[in-house]
Amino acid sequence: MIEIRFHGRGGQGAVIAAELLAQAANLDGKIPQSFAFYGAERRGAPVVSYARIDDRPIRLRTAITAPDIVVVLDPGLVEVAPVMDGLKPGGTLLVNSPLPPERFPTPKPAFVATLDATQIALSHGVGSRTMPIVNTTMLGALSRVSSVVSLSAVQHAIDEHVPARPAENGLAAIEGFHTVRVAELPGLPGGKAPSGPVAPALSSEVPEGPIASMASDVLHTSSWRTLQPVITREKCTRCNFCWKFCPDNAIDLDSEGFPVVRNEHCKGCGLCAVECPPVAIEMVVEGGA
Amino acid sequence: MAKLTLPPVELVRSGHSACPGCGPALAMRYLLKGTGERTVVSVPASCWTIIATGYPTTALRLPMIDTPIEATGASISGLRAALDALHMSDVQVVGFAGDGGTVDIGLQSLSGMLERRTDALYVMYDNEAYMNTGIQRSGSTPEGAWTTTTPVEGMARGKGEPKKDIMGIVLAHHPVYAATLNVAYPEDFLRKAQKAASLKGPRFFHVLAPCPPGWKFASDQTVQIGRLATDTGIFPLYEVENGKLRVTRKLGQLKPVRDYIKVQGRFGHLTDAEIDTVEHEVQASWAALLQREARP
Repeated sequence: MIEIRFHGRGGQGAVIAAELLAQAANLDGKIPQSFAFYGAERRGAPVVSYARIDDRPIRLRTAITAPDIVVVLDPGLVEVAPVMDGLKPGGTLLVNSPLPPERFPTPKPAFVATLDATQIALSHGVGSRTMPIVNTTMLGALSRVSSVVSLSAVQHAIDEHVPARPAENGLAAIEGFHTVRVAELPGLPGGKAPSGPVAPALSSEVPEGPIASMASDVLHTSSWRTLQPVITREKCTRCNFCWKFCPDNAIDLDSEGFPVVRNEHCKGCGLCAVECPPVAIEMVVEGGA
Repeated sequence: MAKLTLPPVELVRSGHSACPGCGPALAMRYLLKGTGERTVVSVPASCWTIIATGYPTTALRLPMIDTPIEATGASISGLRAALDALHMSDVQVVGFAGDGGTVDIGLQSLSGMLERRTDALYVMYDNEAYMNTGIQRSGSTPEGAWTTTTPVEGMARGKGEPKKDIMGIVLAHHPVYAATLNVAYPEDFLRKAQKAASLKGPRFFHVLAPCPPGWKFASDQTVQIGRLATDTGIFPLYEVENGKLRVTRKLGQLKPVRDYIKVQGRFGHLTDAEIDTVEHEVQASWAALLQREARP
């Protein structure tokens, strides 16, 4: 039995990715299973989904804690979510990232694969400008780096089960298949994952003061975005529309009244660019991970 | 440099966990600019409990109470009584509930708060479904809209029932002040919030707050779609003060409702004939609204 865990953000298609993989494996003659972790249903929130593939009916119904394959649909998640937890030695980590595989060292020896699925999805018009959907591109890549599913089964599953733009999704999967890079990495000394940002310690005691008293500004929501706003100061008329319509209060006005994007909090929604009367704001693809 | 049309004070912090392009996030931001720093907010189970409270952080610079979903009205009656007992009558009490928590689950509690003449402002931010749990239909979902519990497949054509008339229900309680607001018109929003804050007694806001994932549109379209909701006559902006109705955004010619419907995936299955039906209904209700405004 092969166990696959998908990590994505709400809206990127992680749940559908697990479902499509199961459908594709079924077309390959395997017996699959897929389901999602029940969490907050929000665009941008970390999402986990699972798939199991075997030659026999699968009776196990639990969450996957020791996956053979981990697929990460959003490069920002590697730093904020425990994506490598339990990945088996000799397993496969597939990450949507323009960076080379060596930039994602795993605790145990593993095959690490990367591809810029965001760029591929955007170039094929899969999803929207502000929210490219990378799941089909990633499945194409998965069919290259593992024997769990074939590319032709992935294409058939897309044709049958993707309601919007199946042709474009199929092309994105093929490009994912051809552009993914793989490296065999030796694992980290001590077998431990590099420490990411440490979450605030949870107290087991009932607090006397307010339950939540830390300012939310410490949370950097910029890792949610794929596009970021760039303001052309020469075109700006200082009308404040971008400041007014920012749902994340991520635009400050400087002493002369020019808007300044607070990069760590901007989620890349693009409202400022659409509402800017002189069109002085452009949404550009975030460079690198 | 243009003059700011909204107060610079920000009582909502960055780093909250609303979806990109969130209409309800704008609603809270504009509301608190109007009611000011001396405000306490009661939030029931809804998107905003999640938006504000990534443990152990808070996204509000003022006190917030997390309330059971059916109890927003009762909680703000209790907060008002407690604050008055503490001689803090100047503090604004605000209930901030979603549409499901208001028109369905919290309706008795809202009715009780209005009937008790509680001196508080109840705000319903309407994203027209239970969005926080993954887009299930509420009493406030419009007819024909796709949700996960009103699917579009085979004979199923989205929600089969019309949207509940919450303003009609609230106005039957004769509140001191009730108004409709839209995050796409922040200056109108601010004026109403400031006005509500200056009044005593039960007050109610119905806020339209477009939801990109739930309504199926790109996150940069929230304000555009919000404007269309009002300018097509689907969500007119008005206020009722002591029974007297006034339309606060006058419209000469209504824009075609098609402009609003066609840009949202949740209405993608509607036929031209179905859209024409909506058009006629909207024109009739707009005419009725103008008649009520003309009444002495």
